[in-house]
Amino acid sequence: MTFTLAYALTGLFWLGAALLSLGLVRRAALWRQGRAAPVALGRLITIPKRYFVDLHHVVARDPFIAKAHVAVAGGAVAVLALAALNYGLMLYLPALDALMLLAALLMLAGAMLVRARRKAPPARLSKGAWNRLPKSLLLFSIGGALAALLALSGDAFGTAAQGLALLALAGLALGGAELALGIGLGGPMKHAVAGLLHLAFHPRQDRFSGDKRSTDLKPLDLAAKDYGVEKPSDFAWNRLLSFDACVQCGKCEAACPAYAAGQPLNPKKLIQDMVTGMAAGSGPAYAGNPHPGQAGKVRQGDPHQPIVGGLLDPETLWSCTTCRACVEECPMLIEHVDTVVSLRRHVTLTRGEVPGKGREALANLRDTDTVGGYPLAARYHWAIDLNVPVLLPGEHTDWLLMAGEGAFDMRYQRALRALVKVLKAAGLKVAVLGEVEPDCGDLARRLGDEATFQQLAGKMMDTLGRYRFNRIVTPDPHLFHCLKNEYPVLGGRYDVEHHSQVLADLLERGAVPLKADAAPLPATTYHDPCYLGRYNGETDAPRRVFKGIGIKVVEMERSGRKGRCCGWGGGASFTDIPGERRIPDMRMDDIRATGAEQVAVACPNCTAMLEGVVGPRPEVVELAELVAARLAV
Amino acid sequence: MSTPMLKVAVLVAPAIHPVSGRPCTHPADSAALALGLKLAGSSERLTVLYAGAAADEALAGYLAQGASCVTVLPTAEDADIAPLLAAQIADAELVLCGTRAGGGQGSALLPYQLAEELEAPLLPDALSVAIKGGSVEIEQFLPKGQRRSLAAALPVVVTVHERATPALPYSHARKEAGKVRRLMPVAAKAAEWRYEPGGRRARPLVAASRASGHERMLGAIAADDGKTTGLVVKQGDPVEKAQVLLDYLRDHQLVDF
Ligand code: SF4
Ligand code: SF4
Repeated sequence: MTFTLAYALTGLFWLGAALLSLGLVRRAALWRQGRAAPVALGRLITIPKRYFVDLHHVVARDPFIAKAHVAVAGGAVAVLALAALNYGLMLYLPALDALMLLAALLMLAGAMLVRARRKAPPARLSKGAWNRLPKSLLLFSIGGALAALLALSGDAFGTAAQGLALLALAGLALGGAELALGIGLGGPMKHAVAGLLHLAFHPRQDRFSGDKRSTDLKPLDLAAKDYGVEKPSDFAWNRLLSFDACVQCGKCEAACPAYAAGQPLNPKKLIQDMVTGMAAGSGPAYAGNPHPGQAGKVRQGDPHQPIVGGLLDPETLWSCTTCRACVEECPMLIEHVDTVVSLRRHVTLTRGEVPGKGREALANLRDTDTVGGYPLAARYHWAIDLNVPVLLPGEHTDWLLMAGEGAFDMRYQRALRALVKVLKAAGLKVAVLGEVEPDCGDLARRLGDEATFQQLAGKMMDTLGRYRFNRIVTPDPHLFHCLKNEYPVLGGRYDVEHHSQVLADLLERGAVPLKADAAPLPATTYHDPCYLGRYNGETDAPRRVFKGIGIKVVEMERSGRKGRCCGWGGGASFTDIPGERRIPDMRMDDIRATGAEQVAVACPNCTAMLEGVVGPRPEVVELAELVAARLAV
Repeated sequence: MSTPMLKVAVLVAPAIHPVSGRPCTHPADSAALALGLKLAGSSERLTVLYAGAAADEALAGYLAQGASCVTVLPTAEDADIAPLLAAQIADAELVLCGTRAGGGQGSALLPYQLAEELEAPLLPDALSVAIKGGSVEIEQFLPKGQRRSLAAALPVVVTVHERATPALPYSHARKEAGKVRRLMPVAAKAAEWRYEPGGRRARPLVAASRASGHERMLGAIAADDGKTTGLVVKQGDPVEKAQVLLDYLRDHQLVDF
């Protein structure tokens, strides 16, 4: 009897393995519709490290599901490995059966946890086939445990053995089918195979290499007429693979400010739309939340048909603030922002159909090198009485202050003036570029106008190349990000710091002459700019500044790397896609919830967005203004 | 709507950006181009023409806005371009151009000279253009929201108002795919322009009333305390109250019925 079961298990194992391989071949054919990508097959060996370090790092933020996943996946992998050894290779060793029993029990425990989560699932989780998954996992683990038990028990079960064996086989077959067929048929378990391969062939290999965050957009080869992504088959094959890794956990959906504002963008659905396009069809199996306002719309996808206009409404594309909250949260390390920008690039470069004021802003950038269409000579008008030297070719300065577009905003000019006062009080040698400073191209790039970005970046690098300075300081995180992370591949390398970093250092060195403590300071909270916090990982410097001037910050629930966007990023305040709420209003609610009387900001755009919130609300103050208020002079 | 095989010529010229002074597209020329693209139906039947001394890059904006080819008639800066253009587009049935160009020789007089050379009627300041059989009907822009319909038999010269049709959005791909074709330079006699300094025409605004802003505000609003000149109506049924409102609106010529 035992031997018949053993042979059956051997047969079942190889049947499963064969089905899985066939499925993988089938799915790989879909991925290979995409463009070539420069990733080597050898990357496969990086999977264990990336799984246990990079992926687990994100999953561990939800300890419950992390434990459940370790138990289920660890148990399942162990059961499969032992089955491969013991039954696949027909060793039939009782010792391995014992181990398999333990592994199956571990998996069973995990599956129970997963089932418990599914009892009252959070709204962000997809239902449908995903609700079946805990049952499949339970069946498989029970089947595995039972099979191992029977193999170990010899004849102890007597006549019941035959029935139990059949039960074990049925459990293993039904549960195992989820894995074996998942990848081929696009079921939930495809995430296991696609997810592991995605870790190896991730489109951003630099994400896994050490300390630098990989947040820079990659340049398009415009000379080769690469205008971004129009059809699913225009994605690189490893991008298509990455979409298949999605587990529909909805972490991205829960973090997305556009989704919360009721704008027609759900990042989870966006990724599933890409899957629908790649696999062709209408995505009927999707059982998660829709793009807001688009419930029940059925759309056809095809690998060789345009995505925008068919599968996706253009409004979905233009709702994104490129805040990266979704990417930060995604346990499968999927890159939503890259996806959005690739699609935007094609729309903007080939048809120019940028909604709202986006078109006007791009025309201004092309014609005047400023977003608002201002004369360049006016950029430093606010500094006219502050004695900031305009750097001349041949001269040298320690610090080059770059004000960016905020220099044209009368509100932000107060912050810039405060910054200059502090830097001067600290004795830094600061100069500005005056009327030769063009825009850095951030807005153009996020709106998909790579041509204008590259043109502005070239202009900026030419300009900077003509001047001599040690370091650049800017209060604009977008300018900071461009100079620091996006110019290097184009050939511009600069030592650039955000003003919060400079201020923090100065305060810590005691270089800023401060008044003795004055009146008690009002309760203050701090709003992290996405392009400083998430794009550059800099959440510490602003807080060191507060410490330096004796302000205790009341933190918001969404702060630091989890901060919520103000709504400006990615040109979203220009494209201005209507929703049910405005993102800055929601952010102001976050601020109010702390009970703070003022909110500190460290970005010209956050300043503008939060200052734009109407009605009674906490005061908006810039970091530099807070420091300037404590100056002893 | 467009008659098949209608031959359309669009005249464009680079403008000077009011802030940066760089060459850019002119909204009226862009509107003419957008109309031309719509009416010609295909780029073979559309000639986009520029006469002047500007560099090719200055015309790139029109390529980005949908012109697949801009033909350049290189001339000296001060050349009289009307006869040259007329010779170039003699076989076009519909000639479209901006009411005035933003630079070069495309003054507001040029369309009239051109119409004279071509012996064709001129329909100025079009907001929309429709082809009906062998004739053209336009809606003409007039100040203060007024409009007028004009019609003429083909061939016709139409100048286009900048608010006629939004230009096609700027597209980098179209710019790269489009071409600038330079014809052989032609010698032309210089235009007879006489330059003289323009006089400053100051037009002082006359305030309708000399009262302070606060006083005028009090005159316009109503309150119960009688300090304001406005009226608070509390008596009467809704019809009577509505009548008071209507009288007020009629008094101030805010409704005309
Ligand atoms: S994209 Fe990532 S975060 Fe969003 S549902 Fe899929 S796996 Fe979860
Ligand atoms: S980047 Fe921000 S706005 Fe865009 S999809 Fe992600 S979370 Fe939403």
